[in-house]
Amino acid sequence: MSGLANNLNVYLSLAAIFFGLGLLTALTRKNSIGIFMGVELMLNGAGLNFVAFNAFLKDRSDGWLHGQVFSLFIIILAAIEAAVALAIVLRFFGSKQTIDPDVAVGLRG
Amino acid sequence: MESVDPLIYTALWIPTLPLLAYVIQTAFGVKLPRMGDWLSTGAIFASFLLACRIFAAMWSANDPNWAVSHAWKWIDVGTETIPFKLIVGVRLDNIAAIMLLMVTLCATLIHLFSTGYMRDHHGKPEDGYRYASFFSFLSLFTASMLGLVISDNLLTLFMCWELMGLCSYLLIGFYRHKTSAANASLKAFMTTRVGDTGLFIGMLALFGIVGSFRFEDIYRAVGEGALSGQLLGFTAAGFIGFLIFLGTVGKSAQFPLQVWLPDAMEGPTPVSALIHAATMVAAGVYLIIRMFPILEAGHVLTLVAYVGATTALLAAILAIKQNDIKKVLAYSTLSQLGYMVMAVGVGAFTAAFFHLITHAVFKACLFMSSGSVIYAMHHEQDMRNMGGLKKKLPITFAAMFITTLAISGVPAFSGFVSKDMILAGVLGFGFFNNPDHMFLPIAAFLTAGLTAFYMFRLIFMTFFGKPHDHHHYEEAHEGGWNMWLPLAVLAFFSLAIFYTGSLTGGLFGGADKIFGASNDWFKNLVQVPRLGSTLVEAGAHGHETGGHHGFEHYEHLAHMPAMILSLILAGLGIGVSFLVYGSKKISSEKLSNLWPKFVHKLIDNLYYFDFFYIKIFIQKFLMPSADKIAKFDDNVIDRIVVDGWSDVAKVGYKSAGTFDDVVVDGVMVDGLGGGIPSVFGASLRTLQNGKIQRYLLVAVAALVVLFFFRGIL
Repeated sequence: MSGLANNLNVYLSLAAIFFGLGLLTALTRKNSIGIFMGVELMLNGAGLNFVAFNAFLKDRSDGWLHGQVFSLFIIILAAIEAAVALAIVLRFFGSKQTIDPDVAVGLRG
Repeated sequence: MESVDPLIYTALWIPTLPLLAYVIQTAFGVKLPRMGDWLSTGAIFASFLLACRIFAAMWSANDPNWAVSHAWKWIDVGTETIPFKLIVGVRLDNIAAIMLLMVTLCATLIHLFSTGYMRDHHGKPEDGYRYASFFSFLSLFTASMLGLVISDNLLTLFMCWELMGLCSYLLIGFYRHKTSAANASLKAFMTTRVGDTGLFIGMLALFGIVGSFRFEDIYRAVGEGALSGQLLGFTAAGFIGFLIFLGTVGKSAQFPLQVWLPDAMEGPTPVSALIHAATMVAAGVYLIIRMFPILEAGHVLTLVAYVGATTALLAAILAIKQNDIKKVLAYSTLSQLGYMVMAVGVGAFTAAFFHLITHAVFKACLFMSSGSVIYAMHHEQDMRNMGGLKKKLPITFAAMFITTLAISGVPAFSGFVSKDMILAGVLGFGFFNNPDHMFLPIAAFLTAGLTAFYMFRLIFMTFFGKPHDHHHYEEAHEGGWNMWLPLAVLAFFSLAIFYTGSLTGGLFGGADKIFGASNDWFKNLVQVPRLGSTLVEAGAHGHETGGHHGFEHYEHLAHMPAMILSLILAGLGIGVSFLVYGSKKISSEKLSNLWPKFVHKLIDNLYYFDFFYIKIFIQKFLMPSADKIAKFDDNVIDRIVVDGWSDVAKVGYKSAGTFDDVVVDGVMVDGLGGGIPSVFGASLRTLQNGKIQRYLLVAVAALVVLFFFRGIL
């Protein structure tokens, strides 16, 4: 490893960019599926942080791979979440004929 | 960094080109002229040229141990105490080079054929997307098969393997408006999944022991005896070998998971040609050829041989009674796959791979010929309504006749040479070497006779006799050049001379060897992989044949009798077929009445496998257990664990209610509540508008504020 690849900040910045873009997507999309895609992006940004920290703090981690394993769990959970979310979107589309999140205002107080 | 052989990059382009075609086709296929069929076909043709380049390199090296490989580090996250490293790469050896050439050749021709066969789907706006997506799926299918072939490790092999599973699902269910097609695609996907699970577990167990997925490392580990330990009460090699073989049983549709393959005929005919010849089912056999050392070290080969022999025989019997032209071919594929698996099982390594290649070529041709017939007959598939097509479809007839001769094992055609090697191996193993295993040669030779019989039955019913459906018969005509050219090319390559340099594989002792040095190149170049630095030594790792020297000895002993027997049986099959369906000297009804009723019933119900799997295993076992789990969830979890809390809550809310009434409502709300809510209520209410994104925004804003204050404090 040399240069850029050896710098923790590069990974953290990329993760931050992922997270920011994901957040922006989740906030601005007028399409439920788009929102979920944003959420996935945020999750992956977080996962990247875990992996990066694990890789760069090897000396302190005693050789354990908690960060890697954690990000694996995040990936699995993200997959499950996507499945559930898509099921919800499908049901929602079935009843409202749209997937615009602004129509889903059942939580209104 | 060490220099990389340019051949490696050539090899990398081979699957990449169809993959690119798939991506472009999926994104823009509909907008391209002719919906991009030229793009997919062109990409795979380019791959074919690259494969020729690799084949030429292999050919000029002319060395059984020729191999070029290069690997890249993919994941390396472990430390010295806990290593975890994944290395993947490309490996080109004789087997891979021959496979690449075969797959790209067949796939190119199948793509070309599809441009004619699928023309009905072209140009209709409501159906137009399907034409584009058909070619994109074909490209992905081919790309994954090619990726599988160049893989030097089980991991990428498995990825491509699963991709093929997906593509088979998409393509078998291509006519998605048909319920039968939808069911067939699901069945294919789920059935192969059973085997894939086994393969995956086996792979991981292997990785756990060897620490690498690469073939080289695995071979070395087997050679060093690293797999001779115990695993769950079996030897590690036996356990892993069995699980890996399960993957083959699923993918290559071996007994008892053979049920999906005949149903896969619901897909369009070019897809059948692709699945049954060059890709899907070939992948299964390819896997056990690659993993041969593990199977051998684990003593699973005998099981493999029996599974193959059973499949070969049972499928051949089923093929006799089919009237659907594609079903006959489907069962013949099953039966021939059984041959290959059996050959691996008896240790006839070269013969198995040889038959894989020759079978792929002639079976692709057979399927496309049947596609040509079906196309000419306006999607009529029942052979009883055909007949006399010889005059109407001369090219198709010629191609199909040549390839039928090849599959029946007539000398001078490719099938004869490869099949003969298998039969010699089986006879040597099961008769001369281990008389206990007499079942294997008996099944093998019976299958050989039956194959000749049912294939010629197909020819006679389709092309000879009188036409049964005059309307379709009059209209029948040969397709365009894109439909007959693939047939002609593949029929041409079904001649034995391309594989042996002579017409009979040198069986008649040197007299017919015409090409000198390149004679029998196949036998010379395809040999059992080396384990580390030494070849598999006789008996050292304990195959029952007594290793390969023993095997070769018995194979040599069995060669002449096997050839004579197979010729007699093939001749008998063809002769009986001619008497029954050609000249009609023997009534086919009388012949079928010879057999007792229960035999017919068994065959008509496909040995009750579907009945057992669907009616008993799934409906009686899996579904009720699912119900039971659901009931447990309802009764125990919901009723007691969840609802039980309501009793606890009841006590709480009664006392809380009193408190609420007296203190909160009476004093706080009515007393103080007059002014405050009207101030805050209105502003907070706009926040609670039910829009998730607004909530999220507020949460983010709050987070930013928190961070801000943290900075200040």
